[in-house]
Amino acid sequence: METVKTFGWMVLLFPLLGTVVIGLFRRFLPGKAPGYVGTLAIAAAFASAVVVFLNLQNLGEEERQVRAVAWDYATTLGVDAQLSLLIDPLSVLMILVVTGVSMLIHIYSISYMGSDRGYTRFFAYLNFFVFSMLLLVLAGNFLMLIAGWAFVGAASYLLISFWYRRTTATAAGIKAFVINVVGDVGLVIGTYFIFRGTGSLDFLKSFASVQDAFATNDGELVAGCIGLLVGAFAKSAQVPLHTWLPDAMEGPTPVSALIHAATMVTAGVYLIARMHPLFEQAPAAADVGAIVGCLTLLIAASIGLVVTDLKRVIAYSTMSQIGYMVMGVASGAYAAGLFHLMTHAFFKALLFMAAGSVIAAMAGNQDLDKMGGFRRAMPFTFGCMIIGGLALSGIPPFSGFFSKDEILAYVAARDDWHVVLAALGYVGALLTAIYTFRMIFRAFLGEPVPEARELEEGHLHHAEVHTNPATGEEEDTDVGFPGPDHHIAEREGSMKIAMGVLAILAIVGGFLQIPGVTHALDHFLEPTFADSRLFEEIEPSDTVEYGGLVLGAAMGLLGIGIAYLLWVRNPERPAAIRARLRAPYALFSHKWYFDELINGLIVRPFAWFGRFARGTFERLVVNGLFVGGTSGAVRAGSSAVRAAQSGFLRYYAALLLIGLTAVGLYFLLAAS
Amino acid sequence: MAITWYLVTSAIVFTIGAAGVLVRRNPLVILLCIELMLNAANLALVAFARANGNEDGQVFAVIVMVVAACEVAVGLGLIVALYRRKLPIDVDELRELQG
Amino acid sequence: MSSQLTIHLSILLYWPAAFALLGAIAPRRIAPAMALIGALIPLGYAVVLLIDFDAARGQTLQYVTDAKWIPDLGIRYKLGIDGLNLWLVALTTLISAASALWVAFRPTERPRLFAFHFGVAETAVLGAFLAQDLALFVLFFDLMLVPFYFLVGQWGGPARVAATVKMVIYTLVGSLLMLAGAVATATLADAGPGGGISFVLSDLVRAPLPESTQRWVFITFALAFLIKMPAFPFHGWMPDTYRNMPLPVLAIFSAVLSKVAAYGFLRVALPLFPDAAVDFQLTILILALVSIVYGSAMAFTTREVRLVLGYSSIAQLGFITLGIFSLTSKGAQGAILQMVNHGLVVAPLFFIVALLAERSHGSESLRDMGGIAFRGPVLATLFLIVALATLAMPGSANFVGEFLILLGLFEAKRAIAIIAFLGVAMASVYMLRAYIRAMHNRTGTEVESRDISVRDGLVLVPLVLAIIAFALYPQAALDDGEKGVQAAVRPAQQAAQPTDTVAEATP
Repeated sequence: METVKTFGWMVLLFPLLGTVVIGLFRRFLPGKAPGYVGTLAIAAAFASAVVVFLNLQNLGEEERQVRAVAWDYATTLGVDAQLSLLIDPLSVLMILVVTGVSMLIHIYSISYMGSDRGYTRFFAYLNFFVFSMLLLVLAGNFLMLIAGWAFVGAASYLLISFWYRRTTATAAGIKAFVINVVGDVGLVIGTYFIFRGTGSLDFLKSFASVQDAFATNDGELVAGCIGLLVGAFAKSAQVPLHTWLPDAMEGPTPVSALIHAATMVTAGVYLIARMHPLFEQAPAAADVGAIVGCLTLLIAASIGLVVTDLKRVIAYSTMSQIGYMVMGVASGAYAAGLFHLMTHAFFKALLFMAAGSVIAAMAGNQDLDKMGGFRRAMPFTFGCMIIGGLALSGIPPFSGFFSKDEILAYVAARDDWHVVLAALGYVGALLTAIYTFRMIFRAFLGEPVPEARELEEGHLHHAEVHTNPATGEEEDTDVGFPGPDHHIAEREGSMKIAMGVLAILAIVGGFLQIPGVTHALDHFLEPTFADSRLFEEIEPSDTVEYGGLVLGAAMGLLGIGIAYLLWVRNPERPAAIRARLRAPYALFSHKWYFDELINGLIVRPFAWFGRFARGTFERLVVNGLFVGGTSGAVRAGSSAVRAAQSGFLRYYAALLLIGLTAVGLYFLLAAS
Repeated sequence: MAITWYLVTSAIVFTIGAAGVLVRRNPLVILLCIELMLNAANLALVAFARANGNEDGQVFAVIVMVVAACEVAVGLGLIVALYRRKLPIDVDELRELQG
Repeated sequence: MSSQLTIHLSILLYWPAAFALLGAIAPRRIAPAMALIGALIPLGYAVVLLIDFDAARGQTLQYVTDAKWIPDLGIRYKLGIDGLNLWLVALTTLISAASALWVAFRPTERPRLFAFHFGVAETAVLGAFLAQDLALFVLFFDLMLVPFYFLVGQWGGPARVAATVKMVIYTLVGSLLMLAGAVATATLADAGPGGGISFVLSDLVRAPLPESTQRWVFITFALAFLIKMPAFPFHGWMPDTYRNMPLPVLAIFSAVLSKVAAYGFLRVALPLFPDAAVDFQLTILILALVSIVYGSAMAFTTREVRLVLGYSSIAQLGFITLGIFSLTSKGAQGAILQMVNHGLVVAPLFFIVALLAERSHGSESLRDMGGIAFRGPVLATLFLIVALATLAMPGSANFVGEFLILLGLFEAKRAIAIIAFLGVAMASVYMLRAYIRAMHNRTGTEVESRDISVRDGLVLVPLVLAIIAFALYPQAALDDGEKGVQAAVRPAQQAAQPTDTVAEATP
């Protein structure tokens, strides 16, 4: 027990230490050393996480929920927030995934960011991000959770606007931050509702009393859970709080891999799984979560079909896959949702890394329209992309196949109307396969573009003048802009290692949970979900389970086939289809007009209010009426008095005497 | 002896002083008139002290004398300064402090 | 009443003023050093008080000085520390010390006079926090205005004369109202031990006025405090004053003076006029709410960095007012914590504004800045930490303060609490906007980016470390404050529900 606690804290402290060391000693760390320090810190955290895992497995099943308390944080007047961790199978699974994948991404970054002038800063941020994420998943009470939640938002802001002299990057950063703050607010409000009922901020205490405090679907609890969902939606990019995620692709590619695929965006899934006792007591809120997840997976997939920015395709696919997970955990398929979270972390990080390699070969350009034929120039990258793509599309025996279908099978088995959600999930699976392979085919097959030819001849393309790919503004290569050199997986050992490991994991990760054969994850997670009704109750029948597997594989293959027909066999067809289906195309390519909607409903009115307050109200009322009125009154009074100050001494003396006489007379008369 | 006589004397002296302050324009004379008023007050204070049989009034009279001495010192200094700077020795002309 | 004389608080209180006098007569070159000593010793004193303070007796005054002053009017020289003002006193000394250090490194013109006004200002603020007698409180509250009047008027920006006139007249009107209110309270209450007049707060608490009287007296106090804070719509004096005040002075002004007003609500208005506080609760809550939204909206439309901070202070003070007028001890506890937090973040921000202006050719407009982080990573990091703390990011002590404030409010008036969250989101917009437009984006044409010097670091780094330490362990302030706020809020809670027993009553 003590070992678990100690190493639990160490998991948290190593990345923080890494940040501090890199930050304070940046002058004494030459060359690539900051990258090694950063990687080492995460490796140490990973090792500690493994120790925690092994020691936790040695404990009895009932003891596998360990609270580690450091000190009282804000314990006053009935609020009981301590600096505490909760170490149980769920958080251990999360720390293993987070530290493991982060470590590989750090290794990748050592090469990828190698020539960037902000190299040191990058690793300081990256370590801070991992620390924040670990704080989020290890938090033992609501206040710590919210702190981790916000730290993650801040770290992602820093990383998204890492190239801070790019105005597009800083705009994306502030957007991400603000939407994340909206999520924080939701989380805090949710916490208030729940705290009012259960009287404790501690997870275990709060969960233990939730059934006594709230009736099923109690309005207060549903409101609280909706608040939590707002937090989850903002962080996990679910509609309508998703608009920051595609913009966040402004950040360096390892950031996209780390934050926007593997770790941060899955926080919402973790949250719902962590709060399962609450959601099971408030099924209405859980249903909202499931429906929104389902909507998101469809909307994101539809946008993914038309986006031409390589990284944004993957970003929308992330949104869509998170939609599956949210739908899963909100429907009670906890193990399945977390299983998909894990496999998704592997293959999506892999896809992002491969995309980073391609983007580097294109000298920073991310536009699919300008790519093509990289297959021969970058065979390793191509191979990784294919593995990632197959896993994402759910083709057996890759990892995504098992995890996605497990979600859908469990959702279908939940109850009658959930079947509809599962069916829509299969539609999403078809779309997933189409857009994934559209992206791969367009980037790797077809006629090689000049950049690809240059690479085939052994020379990496460099842009003559560095520009911002989004706007075309000229840039230099100093701090705050991307560095002068590009790095691709074909040449950099560390990038290759990271991608290779992830590729293997993306292939074999699914074997943890093969229906009817292995249930490793189910068993492991059981102590966390021991109090859950749904965890035991939902058991898809064999027909559903195996039928689903077949259906899922068929959808994936069908999608790949369609993509092949459209973008390889008949490259002119997509334009024709676009012309015929103009309305849906407009809808998809404008991302369902969410940005415009938010702009019109929230941003513009506030800006108008600000201008009105500044230009009109402040001038007329605050300055005119209040300040002007007050000082005007004082001024008018003083000018009246001033008239008496004539400067004639004898006049003053006379006034004095008259006054004295008057007072004297008054007293005389009053006395008599 | 009744206190009335003292008070009447005091009142007459005070009135003479006050009238002087109001009528005359020479600062030196005004200063003298103020002295008259102060002494009238002193007379009244001492008379009351005597009549009431305690010394508070006498203490006050002494304080008034000190104040009067200070005032004369400052006032005469001012008048000398006016004279030296060749300014008119007339309080009606000296009215730059108007509001 | 027996008179107690513990000399500690008097030393703490008059030390800065004494050294202000020394600074005024010392040679020009060591005048700033005098001001610095005058500020550092009280800081040490305050730290000792923090350690020595007995949190378990947080509701009773400690280190009391209680002596006869003007017996005929029932005014006593009574100073004391309890859970309400302990951390605010510490904050005052810390910010004054930082500001004095800043001035020591960048001497002003006429340093002797500056040192004098500077020290008097600290004494006046400390006096207002320490006073346990209503007349004494009013005296120090008004005395605060005097040194700042001179500091703006003589060392201020181009429009300083107009600014001082505005500030003095406007805030003085409030103060005079409060003076009238104070006199009325004491004479009407007749709370003295023998039935005579008394201005001593503890006497006045025991003899509450009838409700109708409370109402209008409360209005005079509330106006004075709301103007001083400033709160919407009484903030008209703020922009001009902020624009023209020298930055190290502004750091103190913004960090501490506004807190005196908020503290006044807790120390004077709630305990003395509990019925009126309940009656006006909704009015003041709505004013605070509007302050939050309005201040935030103004902060993200203005281009002057100073005013971003000025308007953000209006919003933050709005939160503090919300906490106090939730009339719950959680809310008040959060308010106390938030007062300290806000002072702790806003002071370094003003120093940073000075550094930014030095790098952008003297301009304090966001339009002329940009890309200052380029060659100044340390400055950028410090600014970022402070900015994140200012927008009350969870994990900072500011968040704990806001969390408690809004939790208290949530339990009292749920709808208002939920609307107030708008301010939380808006804070992130205006603070990050200012940060990005100053530090990030394309480098401004006149911007010359360089990192901070060791001297600037000596001022900023300790403040930032204090912010971080406080973020890690806000419990320290919460423990000390707990009993004090309960005692401050209890009368109002009892007034709100006269028949029920108050749930949070302590033995």
